[in-house]
Amino acid sequence: MKFMNYLFDSNKNHSDSKGKRFRIRSMRTVSIAVLLAAAMFLVGCSGSRSEGPSGEADGVDKVIKIGMVGPLTGDYATYGQSVRNGVQTAIDEINADGGVNGYTLQLIAEDSRGESTEAANAIQKLIDQDRVTAIVGAVLSGETATVAPIAQDSGVLMVTPSSTAPGLTDIGDYIFRNVITDDVQAQQMAEYAVSELGFNKLAVIYANNDYGVALKDNFTAKAQELGASIVGTESYLDGDEDFRAQLTKIGDEIEALYIAGYYTEAAKIAQQARRQGIEAIFLGADGFYSEKLVELGGDAVEGAAFTAGFYSGDEVEAVQAFVSSYKQKYSQEPDMFAANAYDTMKIVAQALAKAGNDRAALKDEMAAIKDFPGVTGTTSFDAKGEAVKDVLILKIENGTFVRAS
Amino acid sequence: MLQQVVNGLTLGSSYALIALGYTMVYGVLRLINFAHGEIYMVGAFIGLMTSQTAGLPFAAAMVVAMAGAALVGVVVEKIAYRPLRKAPRLAVLISAIGMSIFLRNLALALMGPQTRAFPIPFEVKRLNLGRLRINSFDVLILLTSVGLMIALHFLVQKTKIGKAMRAAAEDKETASLMGISVNRVIAFTFAIGSALAAAAGVLIGMNFNAVDPSMGMMPGLKGFTAAVLGGVGSIPGAMLGGILLGMAEVMGIALLKSEWRDAIAFGILALVLLVKPSGILGRNLQEKV
Amino acid sequence: MMISPYYYQLLVIASINVIMALSLNLVTGCAGQLSLGHAAFMGIGAYTAGILTSVYGLSFAVALIAGGAMAALFGLLVGLPTLRLKGDYLAIATLGFGEIIRVSILNMKVTGGPFGLRGISKQTNLTIAAIAAVLVYWTMTRLMNSRFGRALTAIREDEVAAVAMGIDVTRHKVLAFVISAAWAGIAGGLFAHWFRYLHPSSFAFSASVEILSMVVLGGMGSLEGPVIGAAVLTYAPELLRGVSDFVSQHRMMFYGALLVVMMLVRPQGLVGTGLNGLRVSKFRRSRGLEQSGIDMVRRRFASAMKRAQRKGSPSPCVVNEQLADLAVRSGAGSSGTGVAGGGGEEHAGS
Repeated sequence: MKFMNYLFDSNKNHSDSKGKRFRIRSMRTVSIAVLLAAAMFLVGCSGSRSEGPSGEADGVDKVIKIGMVGPLTGDYATYGQSVRNGVQTAIDEINADGGVNGYTLQLIAEDSRGESTEAANAIQKLIDQDRVTAIVGAVLSGETATVAPIAQDSGVLMVTPSSTAPGLTDIGDYIFRNVITDDVQAQQMAEYAVSELGFNKLAVIYANNDYGVALKDNFTAKAQELGASIVGTESYLDGDEDFRAQLTKIGDEIEALYIAGYYTEAAKIAQQARRQGIEAIFLGADGFYSEKLVELGGDAVEGAAFTAGFYSGDEVEAVQAFVSSYKQKYSQEPDMFAANAYDTMKIVAQALAKAGNDRAALKDEMAAIKDFPGVTGTTSFDAKGEAVKDVLILKIENGTFVRAS
Repeated sequence: MLQQVVNGLTLGSSYALIALGYTMVYGVLRLINFAHGEIYMVGAFIGLMTSQTAGLPFAAAMVVAMAGAALVGVVVEKIAYRPLRKAPRLAVLISAIGMSIFLRNLALALMGPQTRAFPIPFEVKRLNLGRLRINSFDVLILLTSVGLMIALHFLVQKTKIGKAMRAAAEDKETASLMGISVNRVIAFTFAIGSALAAAAGVLIGMNFNAVDPSMGMMPGLKGFTAAVLGGVGSIPGAMLGGILLGMAEVMGIALLKSEWRDAIAFGILALVLLVKPSGILGRNLQEKV
Repeated sequence: MMISPYYYQLLVIASINVIMALSLNLVTGCAGQLSLGHAAFMGIGAYTAGILTSVYGLSFAVALIAGGAMAALFGLLVGLPTLRLKGDYLAIATLGFGEIIRVSILNMKVTGGPFGLRGISKQTNLTIAAIAAVLVYWTMTRLMNSRFGRALTAIREDEVAAVAMGIDVTRHKVLAFVISAAWAGIAGGLFAHWFRYLHPSSFAFSASVEILSMVVLGGMGSLEGPVIGAAVLTYAPELLRGVSDFVSQHRMMFYGALLVVMMLVRPQGLVGTGLNGLRVSKFRRSRGLEQSGIDMVRRRFASAMKRAQRKGSPSPCVVNEQLADLAVRSGAGSSGTGVAGGGGEEHAGS
C-alpha cells in the first residue's frame, strides 16, 4: 500500500499552483483527444455516406468492383504485384469481351505491405468503403488468416490465389483457395523422388515459416511411408545468406536434397551445396518457379526438379495467349502467382455471370465450379472450398524450365 | 567437424569485415551507426552497377563502390548526426535508426524488392584436403579482413590523421582546443568506415551471388554484435569478435538445432553486454559527466 | 448513429496503439531509456491471452490480465540485467531480447509456430479498447506527477545527479520497464481478440520502430504526445491510400525520414511540452564558469585554425601535431589497441 502511495502521490507533494496547471493541461489533452476521436468519427460517417448505398449503383456505367489485397510494397512486393497484374490481365480480357452480364469489372487493389494489420485495414476498406463484390487475395498465408474471418463475417466472397498454408478454407464458406496446397505438392514430390527416381537417402532443408514447415512435414511423412530414409533435416530463416553449417551437417552422402522454401534462398543453398561437394539432385516446390532461380543459382540448380501449378512454356493455346498478353503489359514472364490470380479472376467472373449481384448465390456458384479450363490446368472445388488442381513436375534443363513428367 | 570450423571461420571473417567499420565509427563518436548495415547494402549495389552495367573490372568496381559508399557515409553523417552532436544520446540514436530505415526503403523504391545476381567475375578454385573443402573466395574474404585490420591499425596508430582520431575519441573539446578540426576527423572516420562497409558488401554479395535492399539488416546487427563481443572501439577486437560470433553460430547449428541460430547470436550479445560490456579486448569506458 | 466497420476498426487499432505508445513513452520518453524491443512484450501478452482463451477456455478479462502479468514478468526478467546498461548498449540489448522472444515464439508448439495462432474469439470491441486506453492515460498522468515520475525525469535529465539525490536509479528504471511491459501485454491481449489470429511477424523489430515513431512524432515525455502520435500514424497511412500512390507506397521511407527530421527540427515532438531531456538544456549550458572559460579559448582556437587553413596547413585536420599529441592523453598509447579512448563523448555536450 505504501508502495502504491509512492507511485500515486501527486497531490501531496505538489504545490497548489503546479497542481492547477497540471489540471489545466490535462483538460487540454482530453479535449484534444476528444476532438481527434470526433474528427475520425465524423470522417468515418461522412465517408460511408458519400459512398452511396452500394457499389453497383455507382456512376452511370454498370460496374462490378473486385477487390485485391496483398503486398504491393515491401519485401514481398513481387508476389503481390504479380497477383495484381494477373487479376488485371483477366479483367481487361473480360471487359474487352463485353464484361459480365453487361457490367464492367473494375479492380481496386490495396496494399498490405505484407503485414497482417495493414491487410485487415485494407480489406475493411474494400468491403465498407468500396463495396466490392468479391475479393481476390490475400497473398501471404498470414494475411489471409487475418482477413478471411473479416470477409466471412461480412459475407463477401474471398478467393486466395496464393496462400498455401493448411486449413485456411476452414474459416468459412465464403473463403476459397485456388492454388495447389503445400501438403499435396510435397506428397507428389516425395512420390516422384522415391517411386519414380528411386532415391533412398534424402535430406530436407526448410524455411522456418508456414510454407517451409508444411512442405517439410508432408514430404518427410510421405517419403518415409514409401520406404526412403530422411538422413537430415535442417532449417533456416528467410533472408539468411550462409547455409554452409546446415549443409555440412547434412553431409554429402545423400541422393537428393528437398529445399522447402523460395527461390532466392534455394539458389544460394544450391550454390553453397555444390561448393561443399554435395552432388545430390535438388528438389523443391512451387517456390522454385521463377526465372530468378536460374539467374541466381546458375549451374548449381541445373537438373533441379520441383512441383508447380503452372508452366509458362506449355504448348496449350490459352497458356500462350496469356503469357504473351501478360508480357506485353508488364514486360516480364508471368509467374505462378500471376497465373493463379488470372485463373481465379476468370473463375470468379464465371460464377458472377450465373449469380448476378446476389452475394450468397455467388458463393454457391463458386463452390459449384467444375473442371474449369484455365492456364493452370483444370480446376474444381471440393466441399471445403479447396481447389482440386493438377500438379506438374518441372525441371531445369540447360537453364530453362521443362516438363519432367 | 573440421569442416564446421572452416565454415565458422569464413562466416566469422565476413562478420569481422562489417564489424571493423562499426568499431571505427563507434570508437570516435561513441555512436552506434545504425545505418552501417544499409551503407554495406549501398556499397554492394554500387559495386553491382559498376561491374555489370558499366562493365568495369573487379578491382575498379571495388574502388568505385568504396568511394561511393564513403560519400554516402559522409552525407549521412552531415545530415543526421552532425547537427545532433551536442544533443543527448537518445536523439542521435533515434536519428540513426531513422536514417537506417530511410536508406533501406529508398533502395527498395529505387531498385525494387528483387534479389539481383552478383556473380564472382573470376574462377573460384576449390581446395580439397581429404574431406575438407575450402574455396579460394572464402580465403580472399579472410585475407581481406585481416589485411584491412592491419591497415586500419596502422592508420589509427601511426599516422597524423590517426592521432587526430584518437584525440577526438578521447575528448572532442580538448582535441578542438589543440587545433584538431573535429568535424573533419569525424567525417573522415565515417568515410573510412563506410568504405569498409562497401568492401564487405561487394565481397559478401559476390560470395552469395545476391544483392537486395534488405541485405544490410541482419549482417548489420550481427556485425555490431561482433564489434561488441570483441570490444567496441578496438580494431583487433572487431576481428576477434567476428570470428568468435561466426564460430558460435556455426557450432550452434552443428551441435544444437538450426532453428535457434539467431537466438544464439543475440543471446551471446546479451550475455556479453551483461557480463563484460566492454567486450573481450575493449577497455572499460568510464562515463564522464 | 452507426459507424462504418472500417472506421470502427481504425479506432480500435488507434486505441491499442495509444496504449503501446503511452507505455513505450514511460520508458523512453519519461525515463530516457531507449527500448527497441517493445513489440515483443505486446507479443507475449497477445499470445498469452490468446492461448488462455482459445486453448484453455478462460474468460477474456482473466486472459487480458494474465497477458499483462506475463509481459510484466518478462519485463522484469529482461529489465533487471539490461537496465544497468547505458544508451546504445541498452538499445541493442532490448533489440536482441526482442528478437530472441520472437524466435522463441516461432519455435514453440503451443503458439502454432510459423503457422500462427488461429481460432481466437473476437472479444475486443471499441468500448473495451477505449476504456483501456483512457485507463492507461489516467495512470500515466498520475505517475508523471508522482515522486516516481519526478525521479524518472531526474534520471533522464542527469543520471549522476539523480544518484547524488539519493534515487535508486536501477530500481526506478526496472519498475518503469515492468509497468510499461504490463501495459504492452494488455494491448497485446486486446490485439489478439480483435484480429483473432496471431503471427510472430506482427511483433518484429519493425513493429517496435513503428511504436517508437508514434512516440517521437507526438512528443517524447509528454502525456498527450504519444496519444496524438499514435492517432496520426494509425490514421495517416489509411488517408494516404488512394490519395497519393507515391507516398503510400514508400511509407516506411517517410517513417525513417520522419524520425530524422523530428530529431533535427522538433525533438520535443508535435505537441511537446518543453521536456528538456532532448535539448541541450539551459541548465546544462550555463553550468559553471569553467565551461565559459573553455568556450572562450575554443573560439580563439577556432579562428586561429581558420587562419591556418587559409594559409594552407599541411594536414586538413591537424594544425599542430604537438598539440594533437597533447590531446591524446594517457591510455590510448598504452593499450595500443585502437581508437577507443578513455572518455565518453558526454563530456563534449555538458
